[in-house]
Amino acid sequence: MTVFAAASLREAFEAAGPAFTTASGFPVRFDFGGSDMLATQILQGAPVDVFASANTAQMQRVVSMVGAAKTLAHNHLVVIAPAGDTVVASIADLGKHGTKVVLAAATVPVGAYARTAFGALERDPAYGNGFAARVAANVVSEETDVKAVVTKVALGEADAGVVYATDVSPALAPKLRVLRFPAGAGPDAIYPIAVVSAAPNAAGAAAFVGFITSPAGLAYLKARGFEE
Amino acid sequence: MIRAAVAVAAALLILFIVAPLVALCIHVTPDRIVHAVTTPMGRDALRLSLLTTACSLALTLALGTPLAYILARSSFAGRTVLDAIVDLPIVVPPAVAGLALLFAFGRFGVAGPLLDALHLRIAFTTTAVVLAQLFVGAPFYVRAARAGFISVPRTLEEASQTLGMGPLRTFARVTVPLALPALAGGAMLAWARALGEFGATIMFAGNLQGVSQTLPLTVYLGLQSGDLELSASLAVVLVAIALAVAGGVRVLERRAS
Repeated sequence: MTVFAAASLREAFEAAGPAFTTASGFPVRFDFGGSDMLATQILQGAPVDVFASANTAQMQRVVSMVGAAKTLAHNHLVVIAPAGDTVVASIADLGKHGTKVVLAAATVPVGAYARTAFGALERDPAYGNGFAARVAANVVSEETDVKAVVTKVALGEADAGVVYATDVSPALAPKLRVLRFPAGAGPDAIYPIAVVSAAPNAAGAAAFVGFITSPAGLAYLKARGFEE
Repeated sequence: MIRAAVAVAAALLILFIVAPLVALCIHVTPDRIVHAVTTPMGRDALRLSLLTTACSLALTLALGTPLAYILARSSFAGRTVLDAIVDLPIVVPPAVAGLALLFAFGRFGVAGPLLDALHLRIAFTTTAVVLAQLFVGAPFYVRAARAGFISVPRTLEEASQTLGMGPLRTFARVTVPLALPALAGGAMLAWARALGEFGATIMFAGNLQGVSQTLPLTVYLGLQSGDLELSASLAVVLVAIALAVAGGVRVLERRAS
């Protein structure tokens, strides 16, 4: 059986996979990517059993093709910068002329959340009106999923990027500096999960959603920084 | 019996190549294509693709012609190795090319300190798009040009030189005109490959409208964001160009033989 999952769920789901198979007897295959691409593939009839999206907008696109969605987990945004780079010392520096910012495309959930967050910061006089537009003018690339943003910043090609807190894995942590959004500015990222109506393996799909939303399954998400 | 089987096998492959392209083309109407190439995203992609492929073609001709001539006319130790090196970008997957370019010209790449000293940042620029296209496209031209130069009899070049024309004039007046169909065919293929370049571009140059978002990237991103109309319309534009190139190369090949 096949699970389509937002790229940010990769580490948590890959860790949970073997435990699920042991508990249920269903072998599972994951396909990770931008939730928008995964939703498009479901709309095009991809033979998939479960869809876990990084926002409700992409789940809404496939609403007629999936069962009732459950909320799997929550996540929050952070700004990342290369560890050895001094261009970005604070989030305000993302609006400074010449800063090279990498975001996910606006249809990718983390790209949509990031743009919302910069808009919310405008209410804070420290950032001011036009901050979101100044950041937008500094965007040098719109990546297709959150992991591509992480990679470009970890390689030092960009001065900063916006990703989920959970994307800064222990392996990547030494290469990155993490800047937190002020309280209230970073949107709450909500991950809905649903069984696809035309699931080739309906029993396996229901079992996976049951497992991953159970305390045993959620433990894998919490271990990687997701919130319940 | 055997002849029938051969015909069926041949027909199957032709059908397999033609059917998806026809399916794509019947998905869109001419006015949708016009609409797609006049939206800001489509217009920018078309303009960027034409601009970058013109630059990469100019570089291919300027650097590839001398290389092809050397490979055709000189014999030296290691020429076979050079031949193989020229073929490498054709064989290597585009994603590998993108990664290699990033490790070479990226900020922390091999050439990073030198580029930093010159205040050059290549990743995420239109220059990166051109470099990716040059990498994947140039070998097609060098291969064709090398074959074209080999087909020019040396005796003609020697006769021209005995008649008092210098080596450069001989090359321009004798060698190039005789090899022209091969050169033009190779240039067309190289240009078409550059136009279709996707993997190395998105990895090395990133994706930004007007800067690095070429036609193939727009086709992919249209699909990702669910804008299938835009994807399909621009895809048909690329198919039409491919058809023109494939036809043009045939005409030139016939003229060459």
